[in-house]
Order: sequence, then C-alpha cells, then structure tokens
Amino acid sequence: MIKIDTLTVQFGGIKPLDALDAQFTAPICGLIGPNGAGKTTLLNVLSGFVSPIKGTILLNDALLLRFSPRRRVSLGLRRTFQQELVVDELTAMENVQAIADHVSADGASARREVGLAIDFVGLGDRRNALGRQLNLFERRMVEMAKTLIGRPKVILMDEPGAGLDESETERLRRLLVEIPSAFNSQLVLIDHDADLIASVCIETLVLDFGKRLAMGPTRAVLNDPVVRRAYLGRE
Amino acid sequence: MTEVGKIAPIPLVLAAASEITPQMRAVAIVVVVGVVSGIIALTSGGYWLSNFTQAYCMVLAVLGCALLYGQLGLVSLCQWALVGVGGWVSLRFYHSVHPPFFVTLLVGGVGASVIGMIWGLPALRMRGLYLALVTLMLAGAFQSLVTVISFPVGGPGFLGQVGASGNDRINMARPVFASSDTGYFLFVAGVTVLCIFLVEAHRRTKPGRAWALIRKNEQMAIAAGVRIVFYKAWAFALSGFLAGVAGALLAGLFGQLDGSAFPTTNSIVIFIGMLLGGYEVWLGAYLGGILTRFIPALLIDLNVNTNAGFMIFGAALLFALRDPLGIGGQLSILAERLYKKFQAQRAS
Repeated sequence: MIKIDTLTVQFGGIKPLDALDAQFTAPICGLIGPNGAGKTTLLNVLSGFVSPIKGTILLNDALLLRFSPRRRVSLGLRRTFQQELVVDELTAMENVQAIADHVSADGASARREVGLAIDFVGLGDRRNALGRQLNLFERRMVEMAKTLIGRPKVILMDEPGAGLDESETERLRRLLVEIPSAFNSQLVLIDHDADLIASVCIETLVLDFGKRLAMGPTRAVLNDPVVRRAYLGRE
Repeated sequence: MTEVGKIAPIPLVLAAASEITPQMRAVAIVVVVGVVSGIIALTSGGYWLSNFTQAYCMVLAVLGCALLYGQLGLVSLCQWALVGVGGWVSLRFYHSVHPPFFVTLLVGGVGASVIGMIWGLPALRMRGLYLALVTLMLAGAFQSLVTVISFPVGGPGFLGQVGASGNDRINMARPVFASSDTGYFLFVAGVTVLCIFLVEAHRRTKPGRAWALIRKNEQMAIAAGVRIVFYKAWAFALSGFLAGVAGALLAGLFGQLDGSAFPTTNSIVIFIGMLLGGYEVWLGAYLGGILTRFIPALLIDLNVNTNAGFMIFGAALLFALRDPLGIGGQLSILAERLYKKFQAQRAS
C-alpha cells in the first residue's frame, strides 16, 4: 500500500507535483494524465531520484522518503523506465541476473528467481540471446522480468506497452494481471493506452498539472466527464 | 541505444558471440599470447626482446584503460603514471624487505590499485572530457613529483636515494627461474595472460554485469540495487592494479627505473593504443599495447625521430574513429566467422 500526503515537488518556478494526496491500495493501480502531468516525476520521487520539498509517502507503513534509492530497492521497490534499458552486450538471462546479483539472498536463490522470472515473461527459449538480438517486445519482457526478482513489494512500470502492437499489448496485459498473485506484489502502472489501463487496473489516479484530478475505481474514473475532457479529450 | 519502435538490425557476427564459451575464450587467450610470445622469444634478442617485454607491460596498462573505457565509458589519462606508481612502490618494497619477486609484483599492483582508486574519486562526479582532464593533470603531477624524488635505488630513508656518484645503486632482482632476458620475457608473457584472465573473469561475472548496468544508465543501475560508488571504485582499483603490476615488471626488467621514463604523453599514447586495438575484447588491449611500444621502437631502430610516432598514432586515430571495434575487435569478428564456418562444414 502506498499513501501519498501533500507531496510537492518544485523545479525553479514549476511545480510538477503540487500538494498531491493519493492512496494506492488495489493490487494493480493506474496512473494516467496528459503529458507533463507529473506521472514520471511521481515515479521518480517514489524511486528516490527526485526529492520533494514537502509531503510524505508511506510504503506499507514505512516512511519512504527517509530512505536512499538503494535502500528502497532492498525494501522491495522495483521500477521500469519509459525507455527500455536492456544491455545489448548481456544475454536476456544476464540482464535479469544483473539485478539478482544485488537483491537476491544468495547465489542459489538468485539463479532460481532468474529462471522463474524469465519463464514467467515467456523468454525461456530466448534466455541466451544477447540483448541486441531481442526485439522490442522481448526487451520489454526482460525489463519486466528484472522487476520480479528479489520478492518485490511494489513494482512501478512506466509505459511498459509503449511501441507494442495489439497482440503484444494483449500478451503484456495477461502477464500484468498475473503479477500481483504470482509474486505477491502491488503494481503501479503508467500508460497512455486507456484500454490497457481500463482492462488491468482496479483503481486509477489521474494527474493534471501536478494535481490530483480524480482517483477511484478505474471505470468510474475513466467515465468522469472532467477526466474525459482533460485527459481523453472528449466529453 | 535502441529507440522505441526502431529495432536495430542484428549484426551477423554478434549472433555468434553467444556461442563462444568462456572456456573457448580462455583457450584462445593462451594460444594467441603463447604462439606470439614463442615466436618473439625464438626470433628476437637484445634490443627487440627488451622492447617486446616493455610492450607486454604496455598491454597491461592498456588492459586497465580498456576496462574503464569499455566497461564504464570512463576516460582515464593517467594510466602510465599509475605504471610509475606501481614501479615506485615495488622498488621501495623490494629494497626494504627483499621479498620474492611475486610478492613484489603484488605489492606494486596493490599500491597502484589504492592510488588508482583515490585518483578515480573524481569519476564519481565526473565523466567525459572533465574526467579526462583531471586524470591527465594527475599524470602531470606524478611526472613532476617523480622527477624530484626519483625512484628508490636501495639507499637509506624513505626515498631510498644514494649519493651523486650512483655507485651504490642496487638493482631489483628478477625471479630466479627467469633471470635471462628470454626467460624474463616469457615470465612477463605469463603474467600478461593471468591479468587478461583476471579482467575476463570480472567481465563475465557480478562486477562486469554491474558495470554494464552503470554504463547503460546510472539511474537504472541504482534502481537495480547496484552500489555505483563501490563498483566504479572497484573498476579503478582493478585498472590501477594492472598498471601497478606493469610497473613492477618494468622495474624487474631494468632493475631500476628513471623518472624521465614516465612522461604524461605516454598516458595519452596508451589511450590511443586502446582505441586502435579496440576496447571491447581482450585482443584489442593486447594488440594496442604491443603497437604503442613497437612503433616507437621501430622508429628508433630506423634512426627516425620518435616524435614521428605521434604523427603515426594521430593518423591511426582516424582509423579508430571510423571503426570503434578496433583491430582486435575486427580480428575477433573474423575469428568467430571462421569458427562458425568451420563448425558448419564439420556438421555437414
């Protein structure tokens, strides 16, 4: 569970996040909003890459903002980035092993977790392919597998479906809904694909100019006229 | 970096890269260095044997440089100064305790490793040109310092100097089993192989994977739990260790070292040698290191001003700019292609 209270981030005269209050309680939560709404900034605050000037964040009752980014990883926070960051010179398995090296309890559990994660995302037969030999969908799957290592508590995914075609997005959707039960993790998902958000996320937060525009059950939020006007661009 | 929706074509050779096992790579290292060293030992003497021994010391320096640049994208221009540090520490230690040569070698390596790590501290905040300039200035500072204090020659006190006559200078002894020039050259070749193994072992395991993440994106590496400072410092320490071992080997070759042999420009030449040879494969460092010594030695042998070497290296840099894989990278690709062809023929 993530509880955000009056979170404010300021860069010069701009406030990408302005007194934001929100609570993510569902196993899969969506985070949507127009470009520049503050979605990625919020993920960066949660990861520890951006420091707020005000506010608190509770992650399962722990005050998250007092921890370094690395400590947050050891607390079970995982994330992907907007741009996939698979290392070309490492194999798919080595890319996942690279995070297991630092978050798994020991070598044996690291190997087991890497194998499980690779199989979960369906890359079992591509595990020894170099990063540069993987297509975009496979690279996105490697990124997802990396977040599943080391008993993750909360996984933040920044546009995991970017650039994927319809059938790949469908495969991604099926995997996303399985993550909370398979790995006992909470998922927070940013994506511009409203259909993906609607079909996967139980509750959704909508941001606009750094402020909370709406929060609640996804269907109700997406049907909110204010959200439709500001984000979806239709009445 | 691959952009969303734009997948880079897969180079033919890289498809084969995953089929080259670490064992095969280890055999290739032993065979290539063994054969080349054997030919040199059988055909060279005096001047050229000494130069090839120095060339192998250069290989170790280039190997450390390639480790930093290839694994982390860090430009270090103080590698030759670290060779000098290793030489100084090993000579100081040798004249104090008269230990077995292997111990001297390790102490030289560790000494330069510690200094390399300290010098690498700016890298925690800097990259690119700024880091290059800072490390170059450190190399300049070492050159000035060593010109003043010189290398220990067995005299009293911490600096170990003797009187102006220099009659009391004591040479550092080589290992008993490698006291001849040829024996010492083969010994240096053996140490070079071990150092290449050391770097390869790092590249294929946890530190290598951590370095790969850091080079790709530091934020992503932090989000993966990587201790950025620790692994960068580790890379600088390993790079310094290789340079330090090279310094101790040089001290063993000549028995003593001269301050004038460690100009700042050599660190730049080492970096150019690394670009020429290629920084992604061990063969690049091996060939790059040999070239950095072979070309000046050839110019001296031909009675040509050694400054012409800078012109040659400058011209060769144009080649390196056109082909980032370097000579070693290209030869590795060729070898992999031939291996695949051979495997295909054998299968058919």
